[in-house]
Amino acid sequence: MRLWLTPVIWIASLCALTALLPAMAPLFSWVEGGTDNLIYTRDSFYTLLQSHIWLVLASATMGTLVAVSAGIFVTRPAGRDFMPLVSQIASIGQTVPPVAVLALAVPAMGFGEKPTLFALVLYGLLPILRNTLAGLGGINPAVLDSAKGMGMSSVQVLFKVELPLAGRVILAGIRTSVTINIATAAIGSTIGARTLGDPVIAGLVNGNTAYVLQGAILIGFLALATDSLFEALERAWARVFSARAHKA
Amino acid sequence: MPSSTGLPNRVIPVLALAAFVLVWLLNLGVVQPNRIVAGTGYGLFDATGWFGAGTVSSLLLVVVVLATKPIRNRFWVLSFLLTAALMSLPLLLEVFALRKLPADSAYARIGIGAGFWCLAFFLALMLLETLSQLKASRRVQLSVVLLVAAGWWLCAAREGLSSLSLIREYANRADQFSQALTVHLSLSLGAVAISAVLAFGLALAMVRRERLRRPLLGLVSFMQTIPSLALFGLLIAPLGALSAAFPALQALGIRGIGWAPALLALIAYSLLPMVRNTYVALMEVPEAVVDAGRGMGMSERQVFLQVKLPVALPVIIEGVRITTIQAIGLTAVAALIGAGGFGTFIFQGLGQAAMDLVLLGALPTVCLALAADAILSALKFQETPR
Amino acid sequence: MIELKGVTRRFGEAVAVDNIDLTIETGEVCVLVGSSGCGKSTTLRMINRLLPRTSGQILVDGEDINKADPEALRLNMGYAIQSTGLFPHWTVARNIGVVPTLLKWPAQKRDERVTELLALLGLDPETDARKYPHQLSGGQAQRVGVARALAGDPNILLMDEPFGALDAITRESLQQEMLRIQRQLNKTTVFVTHDIDEALKLASRIAVMDQGRIIQHDTPEAILRRPASAFVENLIGKGDRGLKLLALRTVSGLMERHPEPRHPEPVTDSLNESDSLRIALSLMLWNNTEKLPVLDASGAEVGIVNREQLLKVGA
Repeated sequence: MRLWLTPVIWIASLCALTALLPAMAPLFSWVEGGTDNLIYTRDSFYTLLQSHIWLVLASATMGTLVAVSAGIFVTRPAGRDFMPLVSQIASIGQTVPPVAVLALAVPAMGFGEKPTLFALVLYGLLPILRNTLAGLGGINPAVLDSAKGMGMSSVQVLFKVELPLAGRVILAGIRTSVTINIATAAIGSTIGARTLGDPVIAGLVNGNTAYVLQGAILIGFLALATDSLFEALERAWARVFSARAHKA
Repeated sequence: MPSSTGLPNRVIPVLALAAFVLVWLLNLGVVQPNRIVAGTGYGLFDATGWFGAGTVSSLLLVVVVLATKPIRNRFWVLSFLLTAALMSLPLLLEVFALRKLPADSAYARIGIGAGFWCLAFFLALMLLETLSQLKASRRVQLSVVLLVAAGWWLCAAREGLSSLSLIREYANRADQFSQALTVHLSLSLGAVAISAVLAFGLALAMVRRERLRRPLLGLVSFMQTIPSLALFGLLIAPLGALSAAFPALQALGIRGIGWAPALLALIAYSLLPMVRNTYVALMEVPEAVVDAGRGMGMSERQVFLQVKLPVALPVIIEGVRITTIQAIGLTAVAALIGAGGFGTFIFQGLGQAAMDLVLLGALPTVCLALAADAILSALKFQETPR
Repeated sequence: MIELKGVTRRFGEAVAVDNIDLTIETGEVCVLVGSSGCGKSTTLRMINRLLPRTSGQILVDGEDINKADPEALRLNMGYAIQSTGLFPHWTVARNIGVVPTLLKWPAQKRDERVTELLALLGLDPETDARKYPHQLSGGQAQRVGVARALAGDPNILLMDEPFGALDAITRESLQQEMLRIQRQLNKTTVFVTHDIDEALKLASRIAVMDQGRIIQHDTPEAILRRPASAFVENLIGKGDRGLKLLALRTVSGLMERHPEPRHPEPVTDSLNESDSLRIALSLMLWNNTEKLPVLDASGAEVGIVNREQLLKVGA
């Protein structure tokens, strides 16, 4: 499968870097000079990577669940009254900078992983919500009319027609959300979440460029690996819905 | 179609109910003995007594009644009521300060509780719903926002709220605040302006040479994918090395940290939305319109300046809008590498666990972003042919 | 049999369908014809309950449709619309198989049905079945739409301007297919169109609608001969009424039949048994001849049509 080759390469290099960075001290001595404190050691890079990924994954899962259900709710007859307000919230909310959401979570919830996760979920669900609304709203009304006219129940219309057709747009929303959240989670270091932002922040505070570089490189690779994974996912999705043979 | 104004509105009662529950459940305000120590929280009733609690509860009740009963012009009444309520909301805090602030302590201050924020948030949502039911014009929406802002401004200037922690933090840093505003605006708007010029050139190049499209778009979206903290971090080493090698640069203030890497990174981030929108806008000018222009004897230059550009303008402005909002947010992050701006307050506040200092940085950042959104949306709306 | 009794539908203040009574007999093709906004689509969509009615009663085979579950009701009514409404994420075969799947037919029976319908509508069961809707031409997509409507073997077929968006030649050929399929299957059909020629061609009875009411409900011939009002007269077009009447009848009813089929003379133009009298007249005018031979499907001459007789019977 050539489709998955690029993300596999990215992920492999991310893992390799995580494992090999501690051994690259000589390289960083060229940047930082001296022989002490060349490698960030407060936590292993592997721990930081794991915790960073966990934060993003958890927030993406929760955000997707909330946003997609909300999007479905406001496009059903029972929830249509809420549609204008919800779509306005989705677009106005995205105007608020993610770092502000992160900062504002602290007075409400204190320091640590909890406020970070809260901010990531809250901010991350907005692009998913907006894309869910766009995806469900962009379906040709004739398709829905004929689905109902064929005798599909509303649940069948939702799962067999609406969600598969809106899926690609929703997936794009999840991609945007995850991209933003990888960046925001890194900044979460400043409010006490343990992420790949830690070395960067520690380096900035102590004036240690080597730490900064180590964190920045890993964050960059994580972002690029994730992005290429989504790229492949989106292509796979498109492929499923334009070349799959009819299965009995 | 049946007019929806006659039917009971279901959205506003739900919001009012949520506001009611939250404002009674959460702390309306906090009294702190000094800047750092966590204070004692007070609920709505404790904080504002019969008068405050009664006013808030009856307001929410009236809103529910108005929303559900088929009264004529009820949405106008509602929008008036909600605007007035939002405008005068800080008075609740003043009542709180009057009742609970110890008179003898010079350092004592009051903080805003989650209950207050929830109330403000839900009132704003109800107002939003009311305005969209009224199909209010942009001008009406803008005046409502300005009214509320003016109300808060007036309240903040009153003696009664001088004990508000947020205002004390501001009073201690009035100079730094205006400096932060200047730095924040010049960094983000400067980055937008520079990237607008660059992006216009890149987009034109892509329109002229189709084969440039893929590599250029690939490059700018690659940069967009790299998280802000990483990009700021990655720029430190090369810029630091440059400035060490060329003292002249150092004299200009170009160093590994500070405004220089911040501006560079901001420009890099701004390029994608700018280039993409400009390119798409220019490409999607209908062929028929361009043909008509040529057919009437316009030169290529005239076609571009008088036909293509005006038609493409709304989409280009949309790119500027997205970019500006994004740049304002990223500038706050750039404070981590010493670029200044409101982010400085945020990260200082986080470092000192001084929550109101965090607010002093975060709230203006949010306001700037919302203001940029409002202004550029209005501009785009004006340029859109109707 | 479908019966509408005093059916009314309002949208707010506006009355879309105004107290109509209509009976559609089993096996007949009832065409609702009228200009846009006359209530014909609304009427159709009330029969499968895509729209609720404001008042009145609709009975299918004597049962009030409101007693049945709406999904079960629709599964027993084929439904084809102008913009096809094919599911863009499913192949042609899966699109056609949707109702059998919903009816939980065994997979093999469903697949056989899909193949059968593809063949019936002149599509290739091999190649076309695997295509996606966006790979089809307009005419092919509409054939798939009709096949999908027929797939569950419904007793009733509801068609809302199914050929409205097609070019004249494709529409003509699909109308022919429709007639052929109808002769074969005899479904009770309600067909909505704004095209009076399509109505005359396909209908066993036409209901002319205007402003939510049925102005006239009768056979095509009766509508042509005795239009109930100026509106209907205008709709059918006064000038070429005679030709339209001729178009309703085939040559097989009028020709002088030979006692035995014979070999045709290869000289002149000839007619087929299923050709209309209108075509017969046109060919006679073109060839300036008194008579034309009529051939059967195998190409043997089975009779002769005579111009004098044609003109006598025609109007």
